[in-house]
Amino acid sequence: MTADIIVHNLHYSYPPLTPDGDPAPVLKGVSLEVQQGEFVALLGRVGAGKTTLCMALNGLVPHSTGGIFRGEVTVLGLDTKQHPVADMARSVGMVFQDPESQLVQMRVEDEVAFGPENLGVPTAEIEKRVTWALKAVGLADYRDRSPLLLSGGEKQRVAIAAMLAMHSRVLVLDEPTANLDPVGKAAVFNVLSGLCREHRITVFMATQELERIARFADRVLVLHKGQIALDGPPAEVFQHVTELQAWGVGVPQLVELGHVLTQRTRRSYHFTSMSDAYKQLRRQARKVRMRKSQGPFPPPPNHSANPLAALSQIVVENLSYTYADGTTALQEVNLILPPGEFVAILGPNGSGKTTLAKHFDGLLKPTKGRVLVERRDTRTARVAELARLVGYVFQNPDHQIFAPTVREEIAFGPRMQELPASIAGQRVDDALARFGLTPYADLPPALLGFGQRRQIALAAVIATQPKVLILDEPTGGLDGRSRQELLDVVAGFNALGRTVILITHDMRLVAEYAHRAVVLLNGRILFDGSPRALFHQPEFLDQAGLALPPITRLADRLAPEGMAPGVLSSAEFAAAWQARLPVKHKRKKKARRAPGKESPDHAG
Amino acid sequence: MRADFNLYVRRDTWLHRLDPRVKLAFVVEATALLFLWPSVRTAVGMIACCSIVLWLAQIPAPQIARAWRTMAPLMVMVFVLTALFAGGPSRVLFPIGPLKVTLGAVQQGALLATRLLALALIFFFWLFTTDQAAMVRGFLALRIPYDWGLTLALALRYLPIFAGLFQQVREAQQARGLDLEQRSFWQRLNAYRPVLIAMVISALRHSEHLGWALEARALGARGVRRSVFRPLHLRRGDVAVLILLLLTLTLKFGRRTGKLNAQRVGVGQGWQCPTPAQLYNVLFRTPRHVLLLTQDYAII
Repeated sequence: MTADIIVHNLHYSYPPLTPDGDPAPVLKGVSLEVQQGEFVALLGRVGAGKTTLCMALNGLVPHSTGGIFRGEVTVLGLDTKQHPVADMARSVGMVFQDPESQLVQMRVEDEVAFGPENLGVPTAEIEKRVTWALKAVGLADYRDRSPLLLSGGEKQRVAIAAMLAMHSRVLVLDEPTANLDPVGKAAVFNVLSGLCREHRITVFMATQELERIARFADRVLVLHKGQIALDGPPAEVFQHVTELQAWGVGVPQLVELGHVLTQRTRRSYHFTSMSDAYKQLRRQARKVRMRKSQGPFPPPPNHSANPLAALSQIVVENLSYTYADGTTALQEVNLILPPGEFVAILGPNGSGKTTLAKHFDGLLKPTKGRVLVERRDTRTARVAELARLVGYVFQNPDHQIFAPTVREEIAFGPRMQELPASIAGQRVDDALARFGLTPYADLPPALLGFGQRRQIALAAVIATQPKVLILDEPTGGLDGRSRQELLDVVAGFNALGRTVILITHDMRLVAEYAHRAVVLLNGRILFDGSPRALFHQPEFLDQAGLALPPITRLADRLAPEGMAPGVLSSAEFAAAWQARLPVKHKRKKKARRAPGKESPDHAG
Repeated sequence: MRADFNLYVRRDTWLHRLDPRVKLAFVVEATALLFLWPSVRTAVGMIACCSIVLWLAQIPAPQIARAWRTMAPLMVMVFVLTALFAGGPSRVLFPIGPLKVTLGAVQQGALLATRLLALALIFFFWLFTTDQAAMVRGFLALRIPYDWGLTLALALRYLPIFAGLFQQVREAQQARGLDLEQRSFWQRLNAYRPVLIAMVISALRHSEHLGWALEARALGARGVRRSVFRPLHLRRGDVAVLILLLLTLTLKFGRRTGKLNAQRVGVGQGWQCPTPAQLYNVLFRTPRHVLLLTQDYAII
């Protein structure tokens, strides 16, 4: 049987960004084969060419993008060079990141029927296909709904159904879950995995969802420097921790934990899944009979000790907000933020996170109650005035990018503040350097890659040196390294005593960076406290559709074995685990077992 | 989350179920009547008729109010401009500087303003009660090329999305310190430049992706005759409404036959159907700016 997807020695360069520039090579000899029914995940850094490779599979590259194309792409026996995109659509279904730009109808069933109509499928047959496709993605009851009013996860499932209805046997998805909340992500992955198993659909998905790939994918491809650098089952590929981290792709948290434990204890740990990790560690715990420990956790930062804390920076009093169409987004919210905090605002989509944050810089004015920012009432203060205190990085960088060069883009904020030219110039240069954007300073920002556009958006806000920095979902679609770099800048900013407010779904970020977590549900505050305290109360997490980071879950499961619950990071876990390895006991064991065991040096 | 404001209002009334072609026939007939019998009475009658139809279609009152609110400034402008500048030979009501406000001009202003509202309501009725797919099917059945129908439908579909985009872009720029408040008109216009540029870039990116998505959905596949998921069938109700429409039209024309001795088409001069020459007069004697506005609005 021939493979569903065959890519042979594919080279591709985009047309140059500027008229006198060089073509930008992206793919440099990609070869791969995918069999029917496989669930293949494509990993790689932002800008590594994942989207390009996906688009090459249905011929959008090069038919719609131009550029220089060499090599062969064959999907279900059709060569993309000879078949235009609309013809390839019979065999390849394509789902993009942004649901907004791929749903074109007013009713879900019309949406799903649109493809078959274009293929001239008879009416009775379309009806059958619509019913089947909607059932396959679990939306059988949604036929008469408006796609515009669905949640992000539901929209993406409609987009998948629309492809299935064309009887595409191959589904290519380009970061379909990057903008979804955890509930939406889980639904999309479940649907895809069901399609592979039950309907033998081939799934080829570019994504950054390391944890879910480890669970769902049959095979992982890593795109690095324009080539497929690693190829194999997740357990195998994720063993290359050093390479993956060096390339900036990152690894699932449990794999990272295995790596950290191996380094610290000089004993070999390889975890492929939660149950695997649990079994291995439990076995060890029972064999070695470990000490019970509360873990070497640092005490939670005590903000009341800070004399400045008395002067609260942001005060929210009985805030309610109702949109013009009557939707109530916030009800009776009370919140006090002292300066220098790192707060994560959590909650499912539609719970009011963004609405709340928009009150902090006056973009929205309270319907009831009030918001004070540095003792200014946002109801009377002008947005431009508040913008000097509060920097807001929006979820979509394209909403703010307008300047002809990166430098001018970043200089816009300082210019609006009417700073002297020398100071403004200095700040712009600093921001460019901090994000490694100096080489791009004179290029048009709108034409750069997504990861860079996101950095530019953040750099532009940082350059205004606000006292409060709000980030709305800053890491969606970013790879491990970009995410790390972005958060390091933000953490550095916070270390200067400035406030950071982070809206996110990423519990790993919350665990590793935030001092305080505020969970919103249906416009009310459900929880307000430290992340560790939040992780001790799974009922709140369940209500808000949030999941514990894998490492915290693992530690909690190991609690009966004496592990301290509420671990926040791999390093913490390793330290806690190590602290409990009894020194004497270990020596005895060492004699009987292979050399190279855990060392007590790091204990405590 | 803010709910998207769609023009289409999802309801299950007989007006919603009406064949889109019949609704289109209503739009065409009502528009024709407005232009063939240019009188305030016709226009007001049409406004009343449309209001009843909108009420029957269970369109929520705020939505109708919004349609009125959207039209109000335009109507006032049209009325004032026409009253001031149309002039004409009739009685002078009162002079303002070099301008003379005549009775004829005031009547014409009233006609244009009410007709504008009537036109808007006719089209709002169509947009409120016809979902986009039905609209395209209606066009298709009338032998309008599929691409045209789809383009119009997409334009309607993306209007609210672009409105939302504009809002988001404006907020993003304001959050960076762009001051859009409390300044003179020209300053504000200039301040909107970054918003507009970012908006255009975003819109272009959006439409590029939309183009890809449409191709990936096999739009324009070679050697294929498009099929239809929910084909149109004229039902008894549809036929009844069609007959009703036809009846009103013949009645209107019937009343005119007795009064062939048509006078110059002016304002408030009865119910005569104009001769082609008079029609020309009405269309081109109207001040150009007003006509342009009317056209723009009819398109929206």
